[in-house]
Amino acid sequence: MKGALVIAVVILSIYALPAQAAELAQWHGFVEQDYGGRISRDQLTKHQDYNMLEQRVQLKTRYGIPGENLLSRWNSVVTYKGDFLLDEYFDTTGSYELREFNLAFNPTMMMDIKVGRQVLTWGTGDYLFINDLFPKDYVSFYIGRDDEYLKKPSDALRISLYPKAVNIDFALIPHFTPNTMPEGDRLSFFDSFQGGIAGRASERNAVKPAWQAENMQYALRFYRTFGSTEGALYYYRGFDPLPRSYLDEANRQLFYERLDAYGASVRGPFAGGIGNAEMGYYRSRQDAEGNNRLIENSMLKWLIGYEKDMGNDFKVGAQYLFEQKLNYAAYKEALLSSDYFWDEYRHLLTQRITKLYKNQTVMVGLFNFWSPSDKDGYVRASCAYDITDQWKLTFGVNIPWGEDSITDFGMMKKNKNAFVRVRYSF
Amino acid sequence: MRYVKVLIVIALGIIWTKVSFPSNRLTPEEIVRACYANFYYAGEDMQAKVLMELINKVGQKRIRELTMLRKDYADGGNQKYYMYFHRPADVKDTTFMVYKYPERNDDRWLFLPSLDLVKRIDSNDKFSSFVGSDFTYEDISGRKPQEDSHTMLKKEMINNRTCFVIESLPKETSEYTKRVSWIDEANFLPIKEEFYDRQNELYRIFEALEIKDIDGIQTITKRMMKNVKTGHRTEVTFQEVKYNLSITDDIFTERYLRKAPQQWLKE
Repeated sequence: MKGALVIAVVILSIYALPAQAAELAQWHGFVEQDYGGRISRDQLTKHQDYNMLEQRVQLKTRYGIPGENLLSRWNSVVTYKGDFLLDEYFDTTGSYELREFNLAFNPTMMMDIKVGRQVLTWGTGDYLFINDLFPKDYVSFYIGRDDEYLKKPSDALRISLYPKAVNIDFALIPHFTPNTMPEGDRLSFFDSFQGGIAGRASERNAVKPAWQAENMQYALRFYRTFGSTEGALYYYRGFDPLPRSYLDEANRQLFYERLDAYGASVRGPFAGGIGNAEMGYYRSRQDAEGNNRLIENSMLKWLIGYEKDMGNDFKVGAQYLFEQKLNYAAYKEALLSSDYFWDEYRHLLTQRITKLYKNQTVMVGLFNFWSPSDKDGYVRASCAYDITDQWKLTFGVNIPWGEDSITDFGMMKKNKNAFVRVRYSF
Repeated sequence: MRYVKVLIVIALGIIWTKVSFPSNRLTPEEIVRACYANFYYAGEDMQAKVLMELINKVGQKRIRELTMLRKDYADGGNQKYYMYFHRPADVKDTTFMVYKYPERNDDRWLFLPSLDLVKRIDSNDKFSSFVGSDFTYEDISGRKPQEDSHTMLKKEMINNRTCFVIESLPKETSEYTKRVSWIDEANFLPIKEEFYDRQNELYRIFEALEIKDIDGIQTITKRMMKNVKTGHRTEVTFQEVKYNLSITDDIFTERYLRKAPQQWLKE
């Protein structure tokens, strides 16, 4: 009830905005009700029957700065997007998330600048990310929120340059934002300190790098097209967005180890569809030799993908990801007999099917992750119906599965859910 | 200098349409080619705000509103399209870019602003619906005249216009098995088209509902495509059309896909 009230107040206040503000910019957004019920009860988490129950209001606007001043001559645009969320899973009174608030402008013909909170994305994978090390929210992903919420915003300065030979994107991110990962309250997961899948009992915590100059993150991309094919080179200097290394075992503390990533990708027409290939070399700066058992090793990742339009609004796609932990001998050597250990290689296949019906108002989608080496997988199926331009109904299932409890999807196996979302856009 | 060039182009256009087609002696191929050029390649480039109304058989309406920029690199040849969606709210700010090549599949990119994601879209299927409308991608960007064999059926008056009526049969398997076009003798624009399916039954009808002179170029500003089998129809209004604006090449790049070009997109 409290939720409905807050939403009503927010909507009323939009309509009550002074006329002047309304003239300045158009406000858009949506109101949404979400529910995700667990397919099987999970005794480990706060609520055993569901893992999502929330109401959300999103407001967004874009405002091109008018007049004859410098900012308007630079085609400056202010973008704002904010979410009011009533997350009844945690009985909160409501929270606010600023998703975007930035100023974009082009001071010269050859340069764009975007400063402020923004979502950053690059790379060629479909739900698989090698060179996109910008923050993501996997809790949203597993409980069935809209895809938009897989990407978390960064506070960044992004400079894009467009000389003839190659385009350059440079992002400077002063403050580290980690991925949002299961912590046990909502989604159970593998906690090595608990020796298995843990829920609320998990007491581990991840220590974020302090906000200081040497912890600044940099991301760089060079890209251009060669005919119809796009090529890109990537560099990232920062931290692993996942807390994969141990800071203090006795106190159950993890940390985000320093990471350099070098990568490349190509994408373009291939065999009657679109093909893509991407690779990345992750250099673990604090354990370059790989002989520190507490710190994640360097890695090599390869991805190939293919997507094809079969006609009649039916599309299929497939990907293969190969990951190799480097310096594996040194890693094995350093392990203690009581340590959990991870394999040297991981193979992951994905498959996507999308079919549209009824003048593209009904979308049925199936996305499958399957790792033959980890013997686990994750089925994401959904159906979305655009009832009108305003009303949209989405339902679907999230089914992670696996033989073991320590693999990426296997550890999520207690979190199977079926969700429904109703959205009114304006 | 630019204006001189524009004037020359317009003058040539007028001479071309008025003089060089003493209609009776034209072959059906020449008529279809002229129609293709006048309909899909008018001007050197174009800006338009396009309102699409998708209407189902019970009259329920969906809106797609977009700004379209088009630049031609050769008449009947390569083109680039840029589209920015204003409505509906859930796709607002989405941008779409197409490089059209007559001899091979298009290159298409879609930018989803909420994910900051540039997606490459496979263009293998030219017959899929454009944004859920009754227009296919091929209807939007044009079908090469040489893909069909054309026969003149007759001349006929419709909507007070004298039209060539031409039957076009695809040389290879296509979405339709037969198309009958009514092409205006005066301006070579398609006034009406009928599409027949594999059962040789009429299933789609195109109609030009309004034609205006814009900068000396005869332009269809209102058109409709109706699927007579489903009762679904799409009405398209070109609200603001401008030609020969010297749109620069860089507009059609990932840069402007990610950051919509303000100068071309007034709300």
